[in-house]
Amino acid sequence: MHEVSICQSLVSVVLDELAQREVGAGRLKRVRVVAGQLHQLVPDALVFAYELLTRDTPAAGSQLELRVPPLEATCKRCGWQGAMEPPIFLCEKCGAGIEIKGGDELFVEELELAES
Amino acid sequence: MSTARIHIHRAVMDDSLREATATRAWLAARRWPMFNCIGSPGAGKTALLEGLATLLAGRLKFAVIEGDCATARDAERVAAHGIHAIQIVTGDGCHLPAAAVNKALADLPADSECVLVENVGNLVCPAAFDIGETAKVAVLSVTEGEDKPLKYPALFRKAGAIVLTKTDLLPHLRFNLEACRHAIRQINSAAPLFEVSARAGTGLSALADWLLAQAAAARQACAPLGQALGK
Repeated sequence: MHEVSICQSLVSVVLDELAQREVGAGRLKRVRVVAGQLHQLVPDALVFAYELLTRDTPAAGSQLELRVPPLEATCKRCGWQGAMEPPIFLCEKCGAGIEIKGGDELFVEELELAES
Repeated sequence: MSTARIHIHRAVMDDSLREATATRAWLAARRWPMFNCIGSPGAGKTALLEGLATLLAGRLKFAVIEGDCATARDAERVAAHGIHAIQIVTGDGCHLPAAAVNKALADLPADSECVLVENVGNLVCPAAFDIGETAKVAVLSVTEGEDKPLKYPALFRKAGAIVLTKTDLLPHLRFNLEACRHAIRQINSAAPLFEVSARAGTGLSALADWLLAQAAAARQACAPLGQALGK
């Protein structure tokens, strides 16, 4: 549901990077995005929004590649560390509150350009 | 054909985060806390603000920023209680953008002590966008069902406070209050939970006291650097 609004920000970052480097239309082949599990982005919905929002822009025709790091946490009480499955955010050992250590990332990692 | 890989490592929400950071600095300079109230359409967010207006009159001067897809109805409702309310109409937008909130700051009365934002009614999208708030306040009504926190954990996880509204309706519903409390604790064991009825006026004073404490903490916060330097 929120994929379209997040994708609007994503596309504006991509277009800004292309403009800064004076990259012409058609040269961008791939965009690699890291979106942690906590963001609950549906990959198909994000790709659909990306294709729609890049149409008629210098990024048109490029592919979106999504990497989803798992949710990882540390227990604030007993120090337990490990993977966590939303929506339960409690330590599986002692039941205390946890601190999120990974899985909340949301950034554009890399652009892949065809050499001109 | 060869390809070149350009490593950029730039936040997807880059522009939005910049606006949110500017808002946070603006609020810190005035020592006002700002709360981003998020919940489904019809969860009772506006009624909650109306109830707080009555309860906090003469104790905390708060201003309101309202976000809706259309009409200024909510701002008018809140303004009828003597509260300065700014309406942002988002059109098709499913959440309040950080830039729109930042732009609205200039219209807030200079003698405000706190800002309450009522985001567009939606349990999903507004939770994904930082608008520069001190904390998000998740608003859930008992008519939505006790399992909603588990179904939409992102908002409840990020919330600094959680408000369960319309509790006066509990006798008429098959709503498992204990299961709801348990679900909320599993997602967010730190945020205070306020069980209120704006219509009956119950539970609101605890929420009002929490807001007063937050505003007092903001007033006592260290002076931002610009202010300390007399800028």
